[in-house]
Amino acid sequence: MDFFERQDKARRHTAFLVFYFIVAIVLMIGSIYLVVAALTGAFQTKNGADETDNSVSQVPVFLATAIGTLGIIGTGSFFKTLSLARGGRAVAELLDGRLVNPNSTDAHERKLLNVVEEMAIASGVPVPQVYVMDGEPGINAFAAGHSASDAAISVTRGAMTMLKRDELQGVIAHEFSHLLNGDMNLNLRLLGLIFGILCLTVIGRILLQTRGRKNPLPLLGLALIIVGWVGVLFGRLIQAAVSREREFLADASAVQFTRNPLGLAGALKKIGGIAEGSQIQSHRAEEASHLFFANGLKSRFFGFATHPPLIERIRALDPSFDGKYPEVVLPDVPVQAVPPPLPGASPPPPPPLTLTAKPPPLPAIVPPPLPTAAALVAQQAVVADIGQLRPEHLQYAIDLREAARPSILLAARDPLGAHALICAFLLSKDSSVREKQLDELGRMTSDAVRDETRAMWEDVQQVPAQGRIPLVDVALPALRRLSLPQFEQFRSAVNRLIACDNQTDLFEFMLQKIVMRHLDTRFYPEHRPVTQFYDLRPLARDAGILLSATAYAGADDPTQAQAAFAKGADSLGQIARTEIPWLPPTECELSHLDAALDRFAQSVPQIKKNVLASCAETVAFDNVIQPREAELLRAIADSLDCPLPPFVQS
Amino acid sequence: MFVLSCGFVILIAVVLVVFIVGGYNSLVTLRNRYKNAYSQIDVQLKRRYDLIPNLVETAKGYLAHERGTLEAVIAARNTAVTANTRAAQNPGDTSAMKEISSAETALSGAMGRLFALAESYPDLKANTTMLSLMEELTSTENKVSFARQAYNDSVMAYNTRREVFPTNLIAGPFNFGPAELFVIDKPEQKDAPKVSF
Repeated sequence: MDFFERQDKARRHTAFLVFYFIVAIVLMIGSIYLVVAALTGAFQTKNGADETDNSVSQVPVFLATAIGTLGIIGTGSFFKTLSLARGGRAVAELLDGRLVNPNSTDAHERKLLNVVEEMAIASGVPVPQVYVMDGEPGINAFAAGHSASDAAISVTRGAMTMLKRDELQGVIAHEFSHLLNGDMNLNLRLLGLIFGILCLTVIGRILLQTRGRKNPLPLLGLALIIVGWVGVLFGRLIQAAVSREREFLADASAVQFTRNPLGLAGALKKIGGIAEGSQIQSHRAEEASHLFFANGLKSRFFGFATHPPLIERIRALDPSFDGKYPEVVLPDVPVQAVPPPLPGASPPPPPPLTLTAKPPPLPAIVPPPLPTAAALVAQQAVVADIGQLRPEHLQYAIDLREAARPSILLAARDPLGAHALICAFLLSKDSSVREKQLDELGRMTSDAVRDETRAMWEDVQQVPAQGRIPLVDVALPALRRLSLPQFEQFRSAVNRLIACDNQTDLFEFMLQKIVMRHLDTRFYPEHRPVTQFYDLRPLARDAGILLSATAYAGADDPTQAQAAFAKGADSLGQIARTEIPWLPPTECELSHLDAALDRFAQSVPQIKKNVLASCAETVAFDNVIQPREAELLRAIADSLDCPLPPFVQS
Repeated sequence: MFVLSCGFVILIAVVLVVFIVGGYNSLVTLRNRYKNAYSQIDVQLKRRYDLIPNLVETAKGYLAHERGTLEAVIAARNTAVTANTRAAQNPGDTSAMKEISSAETALSGAMGRLFALAESYPDLKANTTMLSLMEELTSTENKVSFARQAYNDSVMAYNTRREVFPTNLIAGPFNFGPAELFVIDKPEQKDAPKVSF
């Protein structure tokens, strides 16, 4: 089952879900109607109304109940969904999560952030926002969001402090599998619908408190509460059924990602070993119980448990488990990773000072050799790799992070530093153009940004080509912390820097595309793309642009490029073959590519898969993936929301 | 008639609940945002407070006759550390923010005097530790001012939402007080530690 099938499956699950909810809602309307009819009937007989009139008035009564019930559930769900439109951080904040600073120096937080960063680089997605639930001593975690752009990972304080690195890695890998499998979107929708039904009971409670003689409202309120709880029960059943299956899948994926079943098993055993277990104290945990890593609520009847029993999950990972949970001792970690120098301390050799006025001669810090991007890659592997990271990718991510200059990583985690880093990537190699760009930058933003960018230029030159995009992914959490006015300045500064040298190269294009695509959902949540294309036919010309551009990226010789194009177009099947035009370079420039990608982003997963596979065919025409092609392919995959792990030699 | 009035009551209840919950949530979101923004300042301020003693230690050997200035820097730094601890616990609180603002202003002034003094000691200016510390401090200073800008932007957004109709009806009963900006009002603060060597 590849990435796209899993996504499709998640979508089908959503369809089932909606169906079950409709059934539940119809049942609820029916029962509320019975109560209302009984009440009105009772009133009319008391008032001495004619019995025959009574039967006539039933239709409007029914309509009124139906509309009223639907209205309440609809408004509630709509409202909740709207408030969840902000993505993962809405849920994380709902459960009292605290956003962890990307540049934190606390040892526990650093460990957590590093594990998340590695996992994100390995799977080719932007680093998600990381939250800690400080008030939760148990071990639990969840991932939430609509897509990789607005995802948030939240762990309890217990999980952060009590788990060892490889155990935490297992838990984070489990959460990343939810993130990559499209589970999160389904989960958010579930949250919205359940909240709508919950609204019935809230209103019921209000009606129950109204007073007055002959006032039927309290009775109606009581009915609403009862019916509402029946509905919620339905919701819980569905929630539990969907969740249980996906938890096993996520456990399996986590092992596949890390090739270390004992890490995850260790984490699960620790849950069994501590008194708090995986319980979540927050009273809002009920709504979100299906999001968690392990059961967040006390005990549930069989049908309502959102997670398989702990012991079953452990046995699936570690068959030799004897059912005895270990005593948990807190691992001995110093609270501060970098002990701050004491005021007035004796002669200061400041340890964290890696920045020196003049950078030391280069050979000393040349990063260890990285796997080259010009790797032989079979085109099938490209599609199979999407959303599917392997331990090699994880190792690659760890190597890449270690090879990067500490000063660059440090900068990427700070809002100003990240701002400067992105701008420094866009500076021209020509020093006169560069000065012009820096002047412009200072004018558009501030002197501080200009100075930091200038200082960063030297460091940025040392970053190998394949290390640039992962660095951008690492910088995204810090960039999300800009204020709206700062982001607007940043946005226009980036566009200006690109326009400054009157030519846009491929890297600049994809840098801008990736950064803005992921940040726009943060700063302008209302601009979310909606699926509009279910068929390739209206996108034939866009496919032509994509394939032609990919072909030109791989071959300088036009005839060879056309052959590569033909190979890619053929893979799209015969319906489209004749309609996909082979375009001259002037008609598939980056601006055209940009528009084409935006349109493909609005298509169903199957189309995305096909078009990505055909691009991979084109790239693999000469059996070699050039760094340039690799960059383009990753940009295309990212624009289509298909996380493509870095290319590694297997 | 009865059903109609029933429906009407429910409709009003729904609208009211949606309005209150919506307004309340938006205020909470904006408040979280500026509190988070302060934590970003906090990280950089702490970094800066850690660097200053190192700088003073390095300068001590060269500025033996300027003890007063060095002590003033340390004293200002210690005051600022206390003020920041308080502000970080309760970002936006009027008195805490005023305290950190004035402590930071004083510290910047003291640092400015130290840097001006260092100008006239060529040996000190040539010291590599001093040089790298100065560079690190400048960068940290830049980061603080950038984070402060983000914080102030978020505070403004929160305060505006708090005051406009209809959210102002909710802000009062639910105790959403005004948040205070973090201003450092010394004009030279912007380029205080910038010294040309």
